[in-house]
Amino acid sequence: MSSVELLPALLVVVPILLATVPIALGLRYDRTGWSVTLATTVGLFAGTVYLATVVYGGSGTNQEVAVIHELGGFTAPMGIELVADTLSTMIALLVTGTALGVLAFTRVGGPRGNTFYSGYLLLVGGLLGLTMTGDVFNMFVFLEIVGLGSYALISSGRGPEAAVAALKYLIIGTVGASIYLIGVGFLFMATGSLNMLDLAATVPTLEGQNLQLARAAFAFIFVGFAIKVAQWPLHSWQPDAYQHAPDGVTPLIAALVSTVSAYALARLLFTVFGAEFIASTPYASEIIVTVGAVSVVAGSTLAVIQTDVKRMLAYSSVSQFGLIVAAYGLLTETALVGALIHLIGHGLMKAGLFIAVGIIAIGYGARTVDAYAGLAGERPFVAGSMAVLLIALVGIPPSIGFIGKWYIAVGAIEAQSWLVAGVIFLSTMLTLAYVARLLERMYFTPASALEAGHEDTATVGHAVTDGGTATVRGTRVTIGMLAIVIFVAALAVFLGFAGDAFFALLEPFVESADLEVSP
Amino acid sequence: MTEVDAVTAIYPPLLVFATALLVLVLPRIVGFALGAASLATVTVIAYVAPEGGHMTMTFLGFDVQPYLVDEYTRFVAIGLGFLGTFAVVYAYSSETSRAMAAFALAYVASAFGAVFAGDWLVLVFMWEIMAVTSTLLVWHFGGDAVRAGYRYALAHGIGGSLVLFGVIAHYAQAGTFLYGQGVGLEQAFITGGIATGIPAMLAVLGIGVNVAFIGFHTWLPDTYPRPHLAASVFLAAFTTKTSAYVLLRAFPDGHIWLAYMGGLMAVYGAGFALLQHDMRALLSYHIQAQLGYMVAGIGIGSAIGIAGAMGHLFNNVLYKSLLFMAVGVVIYRTRENDLYKLGGLWREMPLTALAFFIGALSITAVPGFSGFISKGMLFDAATGYFGGTEHWPLFVLLFIGGIGTFLSFIKLGFYVFFHGESDHEVRDAKTGQTTAMLSVGGACVVLGLPAVGWPLFTDLIPIIDGTQFTDPEGLQTLNPYSMGHLQDAALLLGISAIAFPIIRKPLSKLDFRDPATYVNPVGYRLGRWSMLAVTEVFAAVDRAAVSLVRTCYWVGNNPVRAVGSVATRVPDTVVESDAFETREGKSTSTLSLRATIGMTVLFVTVVLTSVLLLVL
Repeated sequence: MSSVELLPALLVVVPILLATVPIALGLRYDRTGWSVTLATTVGLFAGTVYLATVVYGGSGTNQEVAVIHELGGFTAPMGIELVADTLSTMIALLVTGTALGVLAFTRVGGPRGNTFYSGYLLLVGGLLGLTMTGDVFNMFVFLEIVGLGSYALISSGRGPEAAVAALKYLIIGTVGASIYLIGVGFLFMATGSLNMLDLAATVPTLEGQNLQLARAAFAFIFVGFAIKVAQWPLHSWQPDAYQHAPDGVTPLIAALVSTVSAYALARLLFTVFGAEFIASTPYASEIIVTVGAVSVVAGSTLAVIQTDVKRMLAYSSVSQFGLIVAAYGLLTETALVGALIHLIGHGLMKAGLFIAVGIIAIGYGARTVDAYAGLAGERPFVAGSMAVLLIALVGIPPSIGFIGKWYIAVGAIEAQSWLVAGVIFLSTMLTLAYVARLLERMYFTPASALEAGHEDTATVGHAVTDGGTATVRGTRVTIGMLAIVIFVAALAVFLGFAGDAFFALLEPFVESADLEVSP
Repeated sequence: MTEVDAVTAIYPPLLVFATALLVLVLPRIVGFALGAASLATVTVIAYVAPEGGHMTMTFLGFDVQPYLVDEYTRFVAIGLGFLGTFAVVYAYSSETSRAMAAFALAYVASAFGAVFAGDWLVLVFMWEIMAVTSTLLVWHFGGDAVRAGYRYALAHGIGGSLVLFGVIAHYAQAGTFLYGQGVGLEQAFITGGIATGIPAMLAVLGIGVNVAFIGFHTWLPDTYPRPHLAASVFLAAFTTKTSAYVLLRAFPDGHIWLAYMGGLMAVYGAGFALLQHDMRALLSYHIQAQLGYMVAGIGIGSAIGIAGAMGHLFNNVLYKSLLFMAVGVVIYRTRENDLYKLGGLWREMPLTALAFFIGALSITAVPGFSGFISKGMLFDAATGYFGGTEHWPLFVLLFIGGIGTFLSFIKLGFYVFFHGESDHEVRDAKTGQTTAMLSVGGACVVLGLPAVGWPLFTDLIPIIDGTQFTDPEGLQTLNPYSMGHLQDAALLLGISAIAFPIIRKPLSKLDFRDPATYVNPVGYRLGRWSMLAVTEVFAAVDRAAVSLVRTCYWVGNNPVRAVGSVATRVPDTVVESDAFETREGKSTSTLSLRATIGMTVLFVTVVLTSVLLLVL
């Protein structure tokens, strides 16, 4: 087994093992969590980059370029595989990169404490496992690890709301994972296998009773993931979780947890079940498209009427993931590429946006849309970056948001799905509505107009900086925080020129998905 | 690099455009010298460049040929280049600013671009640029010229759009933009032709604006008298003549309607020229009249007709600009536009008078001057002298136009240079102006000289080889100094000489508006109403959109009241409306939209059940 093939396993195992280190060191030292986590994530990122050079450097089909690790030397289909193919490597890059970037915020922005960083590493490890696993049951395990990490991190927020939000997430998330597990059970009954590639080979041959089982499995798995990906109306855990999680946690969860779940859904739909199965199952693609489309409309509408910025962005995620899910349901190559690009782009933009929200909360004391008044004048850099990211979220070129939407739109037109085409248009309009609301506050409403309401929050923030309430001692905006937001904003624009590159990188995976639409 | 490559290595419009940019930054004299030199170079290039397309490329995904040299482009480019060279010299000594010279050169560059175009796409592109640059040239003068320039821009915007649509429609039919392909006109004298039907209809209307068809011509006498006097010289030469050439490209076979439109234009233009007081307005109407001759020749479509039209085009570039130069000098020295307020100037400015009379004698086609040669060819075309159809009514129209031309130039020359003593004590033209005028005037004389001069000219004209050309009747030889032509000229001169003293008095009292100028107010009203209609509709849409957004905001800020306002409309039995009592002063009233955990689990069950029902 060469060293490269060891990497997928290391990427999963190392963070989970190292998650214990901050706690262990915490017995003796006070503040080692951040350093340990930084070292780990740097290592993970470097490892992923190396993995990427190997995967994307190779030529051939998706299966040929993939780096596969067989855990414990047990060969598939009996053993568990970790697979880094063209798609999972890209998601792994997003995960490790974002995890590294968010650390720039948490060093000063908090939350602090060694337990927090243990949860952080656990979450990252779980996400990487979820990304690279090649086994449907193993996927459930990682789903639970991710869940545990998220519950822990969300509950580390101050106040009772965080605890309630975490509990809500815990219950609903577990329900979702359990439903997924039931689906896996049905699938195992139908095929006698848990390995994804083995399943992919077996599913098309199913007949009679077994086919019914597989269809039931599809229903359970899809609904389970609809919860995890936060599709309306199963999204209710998500806005609470995003809003009440600590500012340092929200970027990580918003950018990664739902994203990796949506990736896992794509993996299951296109690798395990396959486009042909979905197309031949009655109403399957219609269900996927409808759930996505409804989420887009409901999510954006709810986002428009929010007053809390974090909550608004949370509903925005509901709608953006709706777009991605709807694109899955189109079953065309272009739409799938668009969905995957939007998956990555949305993760990136939301990470940047939530970090910016954290910075603004620390530096300006603003959390509601109204309190953002006059922000541009007072905090030009963070307001500018946020504006760029918001505009990218609407999908105005050149930006990563535009490419994703563009490919999805092209795919919708190719598939002659005017419903999705209309929903994309509507979602752009509604996104524009809530983005414009925020931009208008930041840039065109003077702060003095709302001085009275603003003063309260400002003094609260002030009291905190003065050390009046000891929990967040010495919180301030650092250069590193600003730098990471500006970097993400620049990257979101820069990647707007990389549409062809994305297409080329993802092509092997999309081809392996074997969608019937040819051009 | 071979010699041929060296000649065609430079794309002439680009050269001129580069000079236009340089003029802005270089010292004035160097810049103008470069401008003149570049145009002289273009003339030489046009003369020596071998025939064929020298640049083939794709533009916007279509095959195009921006640099085509054939007999026609060569001929037109030589004329424009020669005139342009001296126009720059004239402009230099007429105290034009560097900015204006830059606009003028950019305009000239675009006109060359249109001339050298080998396909309709490049042509339309250059056509639009020409409209823009010429508008800028007019606007640059400020004052009155701004409003006229605005009307000019409107007219050319409409014309340009028509041509654009025509060309697109042509592409739809022919499948290519290249000249002469896909239209089945291989037998024509010139490669070109626009697809019949809608494309031809649109093209003739669009080009008609630029060649000043009656009714479409109002921009011409409206605009050309207003800008700087050197700008008028450029304007008089480039737009209309290039457009006449393009008209030939589009309709190589001619059309009888075009021919008669040309005849009417000659009469109309000459008639209104006769009525003008403003010297440059008079000359502007003459542009229309002269274009009438060219359009008539193109419309007849025979070999001699086309050759005559092209020859007349060349001459017109020279003598019409010469006349604008001479009149420009008069205006420059006396600051007076109205010819009735001038007089006796030949003593004050003999050289200018000389230049003017060379131009006047050329345009009136007096034997010995170049206009005589080309006008004679056009008369021959109309009368069917070399065979072909006889168009006697057309000949009569052209003849009447000739009389009008004579009369109006007698009028102009008489009132400006004779007619009593001069009130103005002015100097003659400056050296640069004189040089320009006499150089251009010299060409008018040389190209019209009996026996020695005119064969040089006819040799240059496309179709004609030396003094001979081939048409369906066989080999034909030109003879401009035949008895018939001389008689025609004498008849024209005689009638005019008798008529002028008779109409002189009544004419000076007439101040008659061109009926077509009513187009402007009507167009203005129409434009204003349609503009108002559009803005009102837009405003209504805008109001609706804004109120929608405001409603969204309000709902966002007052969710409870929003729900309440809906709920109160539901019958009382369904909802307890008290729950939504609006609480004034408490806009932050909250309503929990959050689904509880139990509710979510219920949703999950419902969704799962329905999915299972559908799938299984």
